[in-house]
Amino acid sequence: MAVQAVADESCAAFDGITSPLEPRAVHRFVVGEDAGPTPMSAEAATQELGDPVAALLFLRGRFPRTAAELVDQLRKVADGADPLQQHATFVLGEGSQVAFSDDTATVDRGLRFLIACGKPTEPDVIMSTPAPDAPFVELMAWDRKGGGFNFYRTVDGAWVFAGNSRAALVAPTEGKGPFDSHVTGNLLMKELRKPWIHWHSSAGHMIDTVFALDDPRRRHDWFTQRQGADVFEKTVARPSIRRWTEARFEASAGPPGRVMKQILDTSTVNLIASHTESRRALSAGDPVKLPQTFFVDSEALTEVLGLPAPPALSVEAQLYAAALARFEFTLRAAGGFSQPGDSRFAFIVPERAFEDRVALEQAIDRKLVTPRLAACLLMVDFANPVFSARRATLLSHLPEAADEDLSQALAEAILAASKEPAAGAAELEFATLWAAGDDWPKQFGALLNRYYATLPSRVASRTSFDDYVRLAESRRQRVRKMPIFENRLLFPETNITPENLEMRPDGTVVQGAQT
Amino acid sequence: MAVLSQFNPPADLTELAADDLPGWSARVAQIFGRFTRSGDFPQFYDPTEVDTPDDRAVKKVAWTAFPARLTVDATSDRERWALADSDRQRQDEYCEWSVSRDANGRIRRVVFTSEVPEYWEYLFEADGDRLTELYGEMFGRSVTLDALAGPDGSYQRDNALNGSTAGGLAHLIQDTNNLGAAVALAATATILREDDGRPVTDQQHLVRCGQLGEPDRNSDPQIAAAVNDLAGQGADITLEDPMGLYIDGLLTGEMEAPGGEDAAEFWTIERGTQDRTLRASYEVPEGLGFTVSDIRIGGRPIEFGAQLADHVQVKLTAIASRLGSHSPERQPCVG
Repeated sequence: MAVQAVADESCAAFDGITSPLEPRAVHRFVVGEDAGPTPMSAEAATQELGDPVAALLFLRGRFPRTAAELVDQLRKVADGADPLQQHATFVLGEGSQVAFSDDTATVDRGLRFLIACGKPTEPDVIMSTPAPDAPFVELMAWDRKGGGFNFYRTVDGAWVFAGNSRAALVAPTEGKGPFDSHVTGNLLMKELRKPWIHWHSSAGHMIDTVFALDDPRRRHDWFTQRQGADVFEKTVARPSIRRWTEARFEASAGPPGRVMKQILDTSTVNLIASHTESRRALSAGDPVKLPQTFFVDSEALTEVLGLPAPPALSVEAQLYAAALARFEFTLRAAGGFSQPGDSRFAFIVPERAFEDRVALEQAIDRKLVTPRLAACLLMVDFANPVFSARRATLLSHLPEAADEDLSQALAEAILAASKEPAAGAAELEFATLWAAGDDWPKQFGALLNRYYATLPSRVASRTSFDDYVRLAESRRQRVRKMPIFENRLLFPETNITPENLEMRPDGTVVQGAQT
Repeated sequence: MAVLSQFNPPADLTELAADDLPGWSARVAQIFGRFTRSGDFPQFYDPTEVDTPDDRAVKKVAWTAFPARLTVDATSDRERWALADSDRQRQDEYCEWSVSRDANGRIRRVVFTSEVPEYWEYLFEADGDRLTELYGEMFGRSVTLDALAGPDGSYQRDNALNGSTAGGLAHLIQDTNNLGAAVALAATATILREDDGRPVTDQQHLVRCGQLGEPDRNSDPQIAAAVNDLAGQGADITLEDPMGLYIDGLLTGEMEAPGGEDAAEFWTIERGTQDRTLRASYEVPEGLGFTVSDIRIGGRPIEFGAQLADHVQVKLTAIASRLGSHSPERQPCVG
């Protein structure tokens, strides 16, 4: 069979496959390595695919066309004690709070089911599909031979192997195909923490009326017996991310300095929002509690490195409501759907991705990075927890042959650069922070506390709060350009002109460097 | 399924004598009666008075035992865990726990309960001997009925043994952790609400609009929203018998024991069943040479019972039948 070459190297590459594929074969299309999808021989598949879906189904000539068929077939072929017989279902969708009606019938709600099969503490198989009987499935299955997740998806019901997690970390596959969005080869749960903005969860019940009365999904077990995002977070997302991250460090997959990209740059994000519903604030006048990671990377600085946490910050409902009106917050979807206001939970913003936090923890635990170096790196431009162009410039000092003493080599390289006449702001800031020596917890704590002290009064002022709203929009704008932005309803839209804004350590917002 | 002959004890516990069962059923029926007899909640019914058909829809509502209000207000994990462990009144998700430590402050055992206090009050009145026996089993010492009574001679929920966050507990004591509150929430949530002409479906908004409990909790808003969604479909609604709040298990996904043991093995159901757990403990057998504090969750050693509460699930089950039999009109907000 002739290989259809696909030029696109993003996660959309699979949408470019137009030639019919073999329904009874697994195709290999690892973007960056393969020009296009090719059926794998039994020998090649046996050698490369060590996951239970391949072992129990594909290599035995079973090729389910839908997620429901796959769950069913796994249950039939796995032996009685195999945890693959168990599955749990979860539901999410950016438009999951838009009730079905004649007016909203055409809204793309992005509804999808996630199904986890295997041990309830560490499922080996995780799928996403828009409907139990849809011929479109994205699948991750843990490779029991080589470690990491094998990524698959169907194209018109035919299976395509798109690479293993390891491919996310190295050329020529890094950043391509599924690793365009799964940048480190991890499971993606964008809204990983409470309030899990668009998921069915204990924070947000998904209404049955999101489906039309005659939509079979409404009565399907996967919907009626769905579990909440809280369960997915604790039994699927966090364990899976830890599993691959630990395996990756254990196997030294990817270059040693790769972790620095996760510490210093923002190649992916999680999304967080206030725990306060927008409509509750607007109706009852309750204050909106702002997500603390909007102000500082407390996941890394506080939870990992033990530095002081920011204060709890709330904005009065009146200020919040005025900002929504002034900036014309509106949820919009293709087809003309428009609903004035914010997302269900107010003030949705990006924060450090959990996979990057775990990578940082692992790097410290394995003594690849010292806590002092991590703190000095992360305190550079600390008021901008994500998308800090200044912090990211430090990556240019990453030693090419960094091995045993990455911390020392990187610190020395940055310190050397800071002494050059053309030293950049990041290098100079790092050098000042490094000079704190072993006193870094105290001195960095003081820096943070000084910053925190400026925030309560700014959140209470209309002008400053408006600046924070514009800064939040500026960060959302960055996410809109990332592959994880898949549905317009992910964020509210505003009349704010796109601009690159930054927070300063005095709590003010200014125009940032052009990127 | 026909009309229920009587309300059964939580988790179908068998400790009540046959003669005492009708008394418990009457106690629960009294709670239901506050809502079913007023006529204010036409979609909410007492299953001992009205038939529940076989084609009913069963809706499990589950949530995390850790108090969401502390997650909202605290700014670090340590802060919220310490707060939750410090006071049973803060444990307001229909699940409470108590921590036992060894001489070195290491956690030896954490006990969780979702048992409603009404049942224990009834035991006090119906079978004092069994009540003191239960306390004796739970606290490892002999207990007199007088020790469990308040100044007026009635059962004291937060008596000297059951009021602490350390050393053990018997049942729920937090002010709103009781069966009456859960039934009230389910009943009042059957009223559909509108605000400014728009249906109220977001759950915190619904709680504020209908005065349905505490909007920042995990439990109340979710119960309210689930029931309200069923009410919107014109259903008759009740709660599943045996009435109660139940522990829905421990999620051990991020838990690691020091020797690679299965962390789920240390979870023991002490009252109730797998499906309807009322009391469970987390304890490492002495012979294994380590304590609960040596187990890690998400890479961090267990220093607080609250870290386990983050992974404990609680549930309530609502029953909906005769969908479409009502055409409820939305009412304006009351809160």
